Amino acid sequence: MAERSEGTRGDTTSVGAPGFGGRGMNRRDFLKLAGAGLAGASLLGVAGCGGGGGGGEGGVQEFTFSFGPDSSGSLQALVDRFNQQFEGQYRANYREMPADTGQYFDQIRTEFQGGGGDIDLIGGDVIWPAQLAAPGYIADLSDRFPEEERANFLEGPIESNTFEGAVYGVPWFTDAGMLYRRVDLLEQAGFTEPPATWDELKEQVRAVQEQVPDAPRYGFVFQGSNYEGAVVNGLEYIYSAGGRVLAEGSSDEVVIDSPESAEGLSIERSMVEEGIAPQAVANFTETESQEAFLQGDAIFCRNWPYLYALTTDPEGSQITPEQVGVSALPAAEGGESVSGLGGWNFYLNANSENQDAAYEFVRFATSAEQQKQRALDGSFLPTLKELYEDQEILDAVPVIALAPEALERTQPRPISPYYSDMSLRMAEQFNNNLTGNQTPEETVATLQEQLTEIVQQAQ
Amino acid sequence: MTTARGQSGQKKGRGLLREEFGNPERRTAYYMILPALLIILIVAFFPIAYSVYLSLFQANINGVGQFVGLENYVEMFQNDAFLRGLNNTVIFTVVSVFFEFIIGLGIALAINRAFRGRGLVRAAVLVPWAFPTVISAVMWRLMFQDQVGVINYVANAIGIISEPILSDRTLLLIAAIGVDVWKTTPFMALLLLAGLQTIPGDVYEAARVDGASVMQRFFRITLPLLKPAILVALLFRTLDSWRVYDLFWGMAGRELESLSTFVYTGVRISQLQFSVGNAAAVFIFITAFLIAIFFIKVLGMQTSTEE
Repeated sequence: MAERSEGTRGDTTSVGAPGFGGRGMNRRDFLKLAGAGLAGASLLGVAGCGGGGGGGEGGVQEFTFSFGPDSSGSLQALVDRFNQQFEGQYRANYREMPADTGQYFDQIRTEFQGGGGDIDLIGGDVIWPAQLAAPGYIADLSDRFPEEERANFLEGPIESNTFEGAVYGVPWFTDAGMLYRRVDLLEQAGFTEPPATWDELKEQVRAVQEQVPDAPRYGFVFQGSNYEGAVVNGLEYIYSAGGRVLAEGSSDEVVIDSPESAEGLSIERSMVEEGIAPQAVANFTETESQEAFLQGDAIFCRNWPYLYALTTDPEGSQITPEQVGVSALPAAEGGESVSGLGGWNFYLNANSENQDAAYEFVRFATSAEQQKQRALDGSFLPTLKELYEDQEILDAVPVIALAPEALERTQPRPISPYYSDMSLRMAEQFNNNLTGNQTPEETVATLQEQLTEIVQQAQ
Repeated sequence: MTTARGQSGQKKGRGLLREEFGNPERRTAYYMILPALLIILIVAFFPIAYSVYLSLFQANINGVGQFVGLENYVEMFQNDAFLRGLNNTVIFTVVSVFFEFIIGLGIALAINRAFRGRGLVRAAVLVPWAFPTVISAVMWRLMFQDQVGVINYVANAIGIISEPILSDRTLLLIAAIGVDVWKTTPFMALLLLAGLQTIPGDVYEAARVDGASVMQRFFRITLPLLKPAILVALLFRTLDSWRVYDLFWGMAGRELESLSTFVYTGVRISQLQFSVGNAAAVFIFITAFLIAIFFIKVLGMQTSTEE
């Protein structure tokens, strides 16, 4: 279940399993933590008395790193490794933030509004950079994180960190939408290859439903509820049909009202209209679609990488990993397969006095060695390209080997300082489209209007 | 005191002041309640006043901007989501309070009679009310849901509806009203029962001797004597429904909007709707206040036990 921890589902409402106590805490750990807490408190005190200057006792530079609950314990292990390696030089203090991404973001915004509080380094969602960079909360990392270093990372995550030509974050671990399928059923109907297009997916569903006795009641399940996850789903259809929300490289030119975007949304709608997906998919989140698939009620399921590991648990799953195939998402006719990007990055507090020390931690945590360790400990998908060839990782995290294309073809959600507002509108309109309340053309026209209004209001 | 007031007949206001503060005993009394008054001012009035103040400015999470007068309110009334929330809240409040009152009154009348096991029935009736709202919301959501939901399954099997309840906003609102009636009718019944028990039995006896029918006794005795309890119960429930948040949010997330969910979305999620969300918060406060005044002034609710 480690895959579900620390929220890699790319939505703002549900972030994996909360709770700090995932692993037992012995007395020593407790003392260490208490020590860290005290140190954090003293740091606060120093910072409070005019400037701080990052000095702990004896020249040790301390800084605070914020992130969601560490349910698998692999985060504390990472922090411990860092503190051990840089003993006497740097010290990272982990500060636990809310498990719910939306609440975490709200808290970050509130604290930074008051000057950033004591957080030096943020482990944050991929949709945050523009929203935090625009008001000047996080530091421009273009110099610290130069072009040649960026080239080693996957492109999607780098793009998500780029706002108005500058880079604001370093990708830590990533996440991408994937297509899960029931290979056992599909083989009975004569299909061995995953569907390359959405039409092929429909064809395969119909064939299974006709030829296989007791075929699952749902052909395809995904996330269509009025929430962040469904924004990612809707965008995948739009992107794969060649549509865009904002013009390339722009954060304020809305271009969603195009035949391509409408085409994308009409494919999503057609899944329900043609009975491939149930009507109820319009109120599915990750949980509902995951359960439908694990209970053997669906032939295809669009979900995040975490789902694969759940199929190995016979208590929670009616199906076994042998019955499951994973591939990149299908493409629109004449378009390309695109996966919605999730994942987490590092951001530096622009007003922090401890940027150098904090960036040292970023360098450490995103190094090949540490990313690999996290992949093995908690199945966190690495952001360095080279690790996708590492046999040990491929063995430990099978989805990587099964659907490498999905991770290479990720595209971030619109990069705007007002993404939260855009997301509210898109979630609502995509849902209206999915329930058939309005046509895809009406949907993109309405969104063009609403998103333009948001962009203008912000100026 | 009456003599003091008589002496300063012409300068009533100043006389009153002198009378209140001139008397050392009274002055001490004022000094003694001053801290309490201050605390009430700080705790109750300051947040309200600050919200009202904020609602007149162009504010966002980063700070307070320029003064815009009533513009936020104008914008609020042009906002689709707000209008949907207002619409849902009005329908929800009127319909759910109506049914809760009718059913609650019936239950109260029934369990007011003496019968064996009355105590047990009274306790059992209260069970739905004992659930935290958000728990019952989530519990019912599961029953309405299409994969494991009993209600959805039955409704589909009988053929009342053909679509999943949770993906239709009208059905969702109806479902939410149903859950609210289920949950708070016991509360209504309890308040009404308390009222019924204050009506002395000999009044009914006298009426019966005079030959009043069951209906006459209900409309001429029970209802008039129960009026104070009815008004209190209705006011409590109306204000509660008017502020509905947890039931909607737990059952339907963003799909079912109320005034309160609009405030939450505006202030906590959106970056641009902060002012409008805050204006809506003030709107809820003012309208709730007006509802209370309506009950007290128009319907003649008693606010204290003194005559």
